[in-house]
Amino acid sequence: MSAADLARLQFAATTTVHWLFVILTMGLVPLVAIMHTRAACTHDPAKRALRERMTRFWGQLYVINYAVGIVTGLVMEFQFGLSWSGLSKFAGNVFGAPLALETLIAFFAESTFLGMWIFGWGRIRSSVHVTLIWLVALTAYASGFWILIANGFMQHPVGYEVRGGVAYLTDFGALLGNPNALLALGHLTLGALTTAGVFVAGVSAWHFARGTKETQLFRSSLRLGVWVGMLASFFVIIVGQLQVPVLDRTQPMKTAALNNDGVARLQAQFVGQHGPGDYVPPHDWLRIAMDTMTIIGNTVSTVTFLAVFLLWKDWLVRWRPLAYLMTAMIPLPFVAAVGGWVFREVGRQPWIVYGQLTVEDALSHVSTTSLAVSCTVFIAVFVALAVTNWTLIARFARRGPEATQLGATEPLADDVPDSGADGKQPVPVF
Amino acid sequence: MSLETLWLGMLGLLLAGYFVLGGYDYGVQMLHPLLRADPDAERERRTGQNAALEAMAPFFLGNEVWLVAFAGVLFGAFPHLEGTLLSGLYPLIVAILVGLVVGNAAVQLRGRADSARGRRCWDVLIVFGGALPALCWGLVVGLLLHGVPRRADGSFHLGAGDVFSPFVLACGVTTALLFAAHGAAFVTLRSAPRLAATARRLGAGLVRATGAVGLLPLLLTLFGAGASMTNRVTSAVVAALFAAALTGAWWFLTQGHHVRAFAATSCATLLPVLLVGAGHYPYLLISSAGAGLTVGQSVTDSATLRILSAFGVAVIPTILTYQVWSWWAFRGRTGRRHPSYF
Repeated sequence: MSAADLARLQFAATTTVHWLFVILTMGLVPLVAIMHTRAACTHDPAKRALRERMTRFWGQLYVINYAVGIVTGLVMEFQFGLSWSGLSKFAGNVFGAPLALETLIAFFAESTFLGMWIFGWGRIRSSVHVTLIWLVALTAYASGFWILIANGFMQHPVGYEVRGGVAYLTDFGALLGNPNALLALGHLTLGALTTAGVFVAGVSAWHFARGTKETQLFRSSLRLGVWVGMLASFFVIIVGQLQVPVLDRTQPMKTAALNNDGVARLQAQFVGQHGPGDYVPPHDWLRIAMDTMTIIGNTVSTVTFLAVFLLWKDWLVRWRPLAYLMTAMIPLPFVAAVGGWVFREVGRQPWIVYGQLTVEDALSHVSTTSLAVSCTVFIAVFVALAVTNWTLIARFARRGPEATQLGATEPLADDVPDSGADGKQPVPVF
Repeated sequence: MSLETLWLGMLGLLLAGYFVLGGYDYGVQMLHPLLRADPDAERERRTGQNAALEAMAPFFLGNEVWLVAFAGVLFGAFPHLEGTLLSGLYPLIVAILVGLVVGNAAVQLRGRADSARGRRCWDVLIVFGGALPALCWGLVVGLLLHGVPRRADGSFHLGAGDVFSPFVLACGVTTALLFAAHGAAFVTLRSAPRLAATARRLGAGLVRATGAVGLLPLLLTLFGAGASMTNRVTSAVVAALFAAALTGAWWFLTQGHHVRAFAATSCATLLPVLLVGAGHYPYLLISSAGAGLTVGQSVTDSATLRILSAFGVAVIPTILTYQVWSWWAFRGRTGRRHPSYF
């Protein structure tokens, strides 16, 4: 493999793993925030305890997922400089700003506030504690916004001019209003909510199928999950469709290669503009990615739509196979999300900044050996982390609210049953 | 003061903040198997919790982002340095990242392990994930002080000879020891008295070791085989402050002044950043004294810088406020009635 292939593989593999965690994180955090708000607004002590347990159960799954999300995100921030220094040479003046703002405005706050939320149980005032999780949710989406502004510039560069082979920012408003970025953000948000809705509904249905005693907790979760999944999966398809005209206008080659229609004409046009080269992204990749998204989107949308009606009198979980069907749906949105990401990024090839800089030209001067080593190490570590993480999520999801560690305080020494050595223990009567 | 100087200060602040906050994380990670409090041993066996890790837990997520913010500002405000620096230091940056990924994940997931064996596996990864970045950041500091072999087009490649020179290696070991000492000072400040006493003794020993190993790069520099500083007077002052901070840390640790000791180790961890920045100003990346990439060459276009500044004015005080708030919210020593999670 050439250095460019290795650098590409490294970036694609690490981003895919990161992306799988991002969508669940972004989707779950508003749901956890809603649960926490409901708990905090409840006055009845028993109900409040139940809702708090519900928050802590889903919150823990969210936090486990976040752990790998943040560490893989850390790597992403450095990857551009490591392997693609040509990107910062050409577009650093434009592309760097949204990344810098993402870290300062969003990531910094998200992580600090989440740390406080995790350890704030019983320590921080309830209203402040709830505000913290909403701030985490808000900053998670702010983070997504800035990243997509940066990505949108790669897909459809706007608000800049090139002087002496270097891009300069001329219109910050245009950069922020990039339709290619904003529609993608809407699509991503709804995709993340679909993922989380299906996840919450699937885990809850599984507990019903296993005859859980926590019926109230999981009924409430199931309702939230199915409703969010139904609404989000309906609109995710619509926003997905809205992107097609934007693509036709801004990335004609992507849609041409997808439909195998007019590729030769565009190729000739690109050669005329940018010199000889292959400007056609691979048709098969795009087709498969698009079909995956469409099929899964429609399936999830249909199933959750029917599930909403079956929520009545718990019909959805009374018959086990139906409950297990909900559980079996959990992986589908993740697969669709990878499809969406492949479509967006593979469809941009061979450009790193569409029409301005090719991926090959952006590659750093790093030796093939270094790249081979780092690529192997990163992929091995990331895959190991992903497997560990999903194992842990599955384990804690299966165990149910009883086993939640998040927000559990260490019992005082007096609460712990002693071995009976001290005199206070009642002496058994023979 | 020009905008580019302000953003250079900002970059320095973020890196220094990361060295101070991430530094004690790595120190605690490296030392945590040694920092088990005796009276709590029973509790630790039962719950699997580690008192040293608990001490840093509420701050852990907020500490690591200083590095991410540093990387973000490096890209946003100094894109021409970012591309050269990160790709030039490729093997070291990859090692730091691998250490970070493994260590951070291990700290956060250790508490989810079921068995003592599982926790031991995570413990090994936690120590590895603390030691590797600490050592490699020291190597990076050493290389930046010494200068890198830049080529005509401005890029550079590290050879094994560049990294494995006595000066750079000595800087690496000094930094790793310093972070460990800093971690011990943090545990002294925040954990229950019995454990604090253990950490205090360990910390005092580590500060002495840091001082001893730290003499080596100083001597190498004095004999012309080490750093070639651009601003010699400034560098000498910063080096003297570093020595004073170490002495202070040792003195306060032996005297039992925990807050002052932690303040002193914090100063000692941020001074290397100041040394790299102020010692070579106006150069950010040197090939030899008085030659290299200047601030003016690395900074982004002025239009971009103005936009970043407009956001920065509002965002940076906010960041500092909520970070200070999070430290305040979890002030004091760790006790029994607090949620433990990691």
